[in-house]
Amino acid sequence: MTAAAEAGQELAAALATRRLARLRHLDLFGLVITLTTLGFAVVWAFPLYWGLVTTFKPEYEVVRPGVQLWPEHFTLEAYVHVLMRTKIGIWYLNSLITSGAVTAIVVTMAVGAGYAISQLRFPGRRLFWWTILASFMIPIPSLTVPHFILMSQFHWINTLPGVIAPQLIAPGALSVIIYKQFFDSVPKDFREAAVIDGASEFQLLFRIYLPMNWGITTALVIITFIGAWNLFLWPFVAVNTEDKMNITVGITQVHDAFGVSYARDLAVAMLAALPVAIVYLVFQRRVTQAIMLSAGIKG
Amino acid sequence: MPHVELRRVTKRYGPVTAVSDLSLSVEKGSFTALLGPSGCGKSTLLRMIAGLEEITVGDCFINGVDVTDAPPAKRRIAMVFQSYALYPHMTVRQNIAFSLSVAGAPRKTQSERALEVARILQLEPFLDRRPAELSGGQRQRVAIGRALVRKPEVFLFDEPLSNLDAKLRVQMRLELAKLHADLGTTMIYVTHDQTEAMTLADMIVVLDKGRISQVGSPLELYNAPANKFVASFIGSPSMNFIDVRIASVNGQTASVVLPGGRETMVRVGAEGAPGDSTELGVRPEHLTVVDPQDPTASFNGAVTIVERLGNSTLLYVDTPGGQLIVEGKGNLEVKSGEPVGLKVMESQVHLFGPTGSVL
Amino acid sequence: MIVKSRRNEIVVAYALMAPFIIVYGVLFVYPSVKMFELSFTDAPLIGEGAWVGFKNFWRLQSDRLFSTAIWNTTYFVLLSVVPSTLIGLAVALGVNRLRGRLQGVVLAAFFLPYILPVSVVYRIWSWMFDKDFGVAQYVITPFTGGQHVSVFRTLPLFMPAVAFVTIWWLLGFNVLLFIAGLRNISSEIYEAAALDGAGRWTQFRRITWPLIWPVTALVLTIQLILQLKIFDQVYLFANNVRTDATMVMVQYILKQAFQMNKGGLAAAASVVLFLVIVVASVLQFQLLRARGER
Repeated sequence: MTAAAEAGQELAAALATRRLARLRHLDLFGLVITLTTLGFAVVWAFPLYWGLVTTFKPEYEVVRPGVQLWPEHFTLEAYVHVLMRTKIGIWYLNSLITSGAVTAIVVTMAVGAGYAISQLRFPGRRLFWWTILASFMIPIPSLTVPHFILMSQFHWINTLPGVIAPQLIAPGALSVIIYKQFFDSVPKDFREAAVIDGASEFQLLFRIYLPMNWGITTALVIITFIGAWNLFLWPFVAVNTEDKMNITVGITQVHDAFGVSYARDLAVAMLAALPVAIVYLVFQRRVTQAIMLSAGIKG
Repeated sequence: MPHVELRRVTKRYGPVTAVSDLSLSVEKGSFTALLGPSGCGKSTLLRMIAGLEEITVGDCFINGVDVTDAPPAKRRIAMVFQSYALYPHMTVRQNIAFSLSVAGAPRKTQSERALEVARILQLEPFLDRRPAELSGGQRQRVAIGRALVRKPEVFLFDEPLSNLDAKLRVQMRLELAKLHADLGTTMIYVTHDQTEAMTLADMIVVLDKGRISQVGSPLELYNAPANKFVASFIGSPSMNFIDVRIASVNGQTASVVLPGGRETMVRVGAEGAPGDSTELGVRPEHLTVVDPQDPTASFNGAVTIVERLGNSTLLYVDTPGGQLIVEGKGNLEVKSGEPVGLKVMESQVHLFGPTGSVL
Repeated sequence: MIVKSRRNEIVVAYALMAPFIIVYGVLFVYPSVKMFELSFTDAPLIGEGAWVGFKNFWRLQSDRLFSTAIWNTTYFVLLSVVPSTLIGLAVALGVNRLRGRLQGVVLAAFFLPYILPVSVVYRIWSWMFDKDFGVAQYVITPFTGGQHVSVFRTLPLFMPAVAFVTIWWLLGFNVLLFIAGLRNISSEIYEAAALDGAGRWTQFRRITWPLIWPVTALVLTIQLILQLKIFDQVYLFANNVRTDATMVMVQYILKQAFQMNKGGLAAAASVVLFLVIVVASVLQFQLLRARGER
C-alpha cells in the first residue's frame, strides 16, 4: 500500500476514535439534559396535579399539615357539593352556548370571506385585506368600553348575544387570514379544471376548496372554541347576574358563598377546565397546529 | 369550415404582449400540435381557446360559433392539464364524474358514464381509489377520463406528458395516438417536445415569441422549413448551420461558397443575390464522411467526439465552418482525432437569409 | 376570466363577504372609531358628553393612578416577557432531545396549563400559595425563618408572583414555537460542527442561537403585545384588596368606565393603551430586525 494510502488510513482511524469518544461524552451530557428536562416537567406539572388531587380529599385532610400526594380517604364530596349547590350547571350551559355560537359564526363567516379575498376579484378587495391586517394592532381590551356602550344600545347587556357578539372579531379576523392563506395555496389548476367542468363559485368553495382544507377547519374550530370557553374579560364585564355567567367567570364568584373551602373551590375549577383539557388531549395535534398557524400570522 | 378558429388574436398582460395578431385554423378531427420553446405563447393560445384567458383583441370560433366571450363551461371543450389537477379528496369515479355532478346529473347516470369511460381507459379496477394511490400513468388516464366523460367537441392538452419518465412517455404517446384514432375528436396539443409533436400530430403549428413561425404537417416542417427557427427546432440532433456566401445565382440555383473555399449548388426561391451573407442549413444525416483527399468533399475537418448509439453514430467534427454534427447509419469506423472529409447532400440543403427565412 | 361573468363574480364575492363585513363593521370598525371619538368627550359610560378636546389626556397625565397603572404594566412586562422566552427556549432544547411517546407526554406537561382558563390557573395557584395551607409555604419558610407569607398581599411580592404564575401558564406556547423552530435546523449542521471541534456551548452560541433567532424575535413580540394587555390574573389575585397599588392599564380603563362612570376618560386611556402597543411593537420590530441582520 502506498504511503499516502497508509497516512489516509491512520487519519481516518484517528477521526473515528475521536468521534467515538465525543459521542460517548455527548451521551453522558445528553442523559443529564434528559433527566433535567424530565424533572422539570414533573415540577411543572405538579401544581396541576396538586390542585386535582386536593379535590379528592375531604376538607380535614386538605388542611392537615404535611404533603399527602394521594388522598387517604378518596372522596367525591367536593364535586357533589359543587354540582348540587352552585349554579355550575347554568354556567356550563352558558359556556357551551356562547362558545358554540362564537365558533359556528366565526368559522362560517371566515370561510366565505377568506374564499372571496383569496379567489375572487372585486372592488375594495385590497382595502378589506389591509383593514383586517391592521386590526390586529388595536387591542381588544381597548374596545371594552365602546363594546359595552354598543351592547347596551342593543339592550344586550347581561344577555348571551351580548356576550357572544364582541367575541367574534378577534378569532374572526384570524380565521379569515388563515383561510385566505390556505385557499391561496391551492394550485390554480384545480380551479381551472373545475371551471371548465362548469362549477360555480359556490360549488368551487364547497366541493373543492373547503374539502381540501378540512384539517384547517378542524383546527380553527378547536382553538376558537377553546378561546371562547376560556375568555374572562368580556364575559366578566358584560354580565352582572350569576345566571348569565360563563363558567370561566362563574367559578371566581363562588368562594364567597362558602367561606374558605379549598377542595370545593378547586373542584369547581377542575370542572371548568375539564372540557377544554379533554379537547386538547384528544385533538392534540390539531391544537398545536392551530397555535402555530396563529403565531405565524401574528408575526 | 374549420372546427376551431382564432382570428387575429392578440393577448396582452399589461405592457407585455404574449401573442400578437395571430390567426389559426384547426380542422375537425385533426390532431394539431402547438409547438415551441418556453414563453412562445403556446399555452396562452390553448388557454384562450379554452376560455381560461381573456382574448385582448380578436375572436375565437368553435364550430362556427363565436365563443370569444363565452365561459369555458359553455364551449364544449375539455382540457387535460400538465399536473392533471385530479381532486385529491375524491375517488377516481368522483373525479371522472365531477362535471356531471356539477351539472346536477342523477347519480345513476354519473356512475354509468364514469364506468363507460373507465372501460375505455382501462381504469375499472381503480374506480374507488384516490389519486394519491395511483401511478403517474394511471393519473394521466384519469385526467383524460375526466375530459372524455363530457363528450367534448375539442380536446385540449397542455403538455400532459412532461411529468412522466421517458419510458412512460413513449407508452402514453402511443395510447394518445390510439385514442385519437378511436375517437376521431379534434385534439389540440401543446408541447415543447418536438418528438411528441412529430409523432402525434397531423398538423404542427410552430410558435416563436407569440407569432406563428410555420404551419404544416410534420414532414413538411422537417423537409421544407420556412425559416431558421423551425429548421433548428425540428429534428434531433438539430440541423447544422454554416456561414456561407452566395457566389452567383442562376435562375433557381445558387452557387454558394463554403468556408474552406469549396463551392456547392443550392436550390433557391426568389430571393438571394450574389455577395449576400447567408447561412446554409444541412441536417446531420445529410452529411457523409469521405476520404479527406476526396476532391468532391465539401469540407475538411477533424473528428473531435464520436458517440456510438448502436444503430447510428454521431460525429462531432471541427471544420472551417464550425463544429458540425454528422449522423451516420450503423457503426462508422472513425476514430477521435481522425481527419475526414464531409460531403453535403446537395438536394437536402437550405439557405437562410439575414432575416432567417429560407431563400 | 371572461368579461361578462365579471359582474357575477363581484356579486358572489360580496355575498360571501357580507356576513363578515357586517360583523366586522359593527363590532370592530364602529367601536374603534367610537373609542377615538369618546376620548375627546367628557361623556359618562352611557350617554352623551360634550367635546373637551385633549382634556382627558391631560387628566391622564396628571393622574397618579394612571402612572401607577403604566408603571405596573411595564414592570409586569419586564418580569414576564424575557424570562418566559428564555425559559421556553431552554425547555424546548431539552424536550427536543426526547423522542416519540415520551416527548409527547412531556410536551403535554408544559402545554396543558396554556389550555386552561385563567380563573382555573388562579384557583390552582392561590391554593399553592395559600398562606395557611399552601404547599409553596414549604419553599418559602426557609427564607423567612418559619413565618408563613401571604404572597399576594405582600406588595413587593405581588407582581413577581403574578408574573411567575403567568409564566407557568403560558410557557407551553413558547415551547411549542421553539420546538418547531429547532426542528427546522438540520442535525447535519451540528454533526459538522462537532467534527470541526465545536463544543456544546459554541454550538449553541454560533449555530442554535442565530438560526433560532427569527422564532425568538417572534415569541418576544407576541409575548410583549400579550402582556401589555394584562388584566385577568392581576385582577383575580389582587382580589379586591390593594387594587389601586397593583393596578394595570386595562384595569384602569375598567375602573374609570364602570366604577367612576367616566366613559370619555376611559376611552382616552384605551387610546393610550393602543398607542403604547403600536409604539412598542414597532420599536421592538426595528430593534429585533436590526439585531437579526447583524
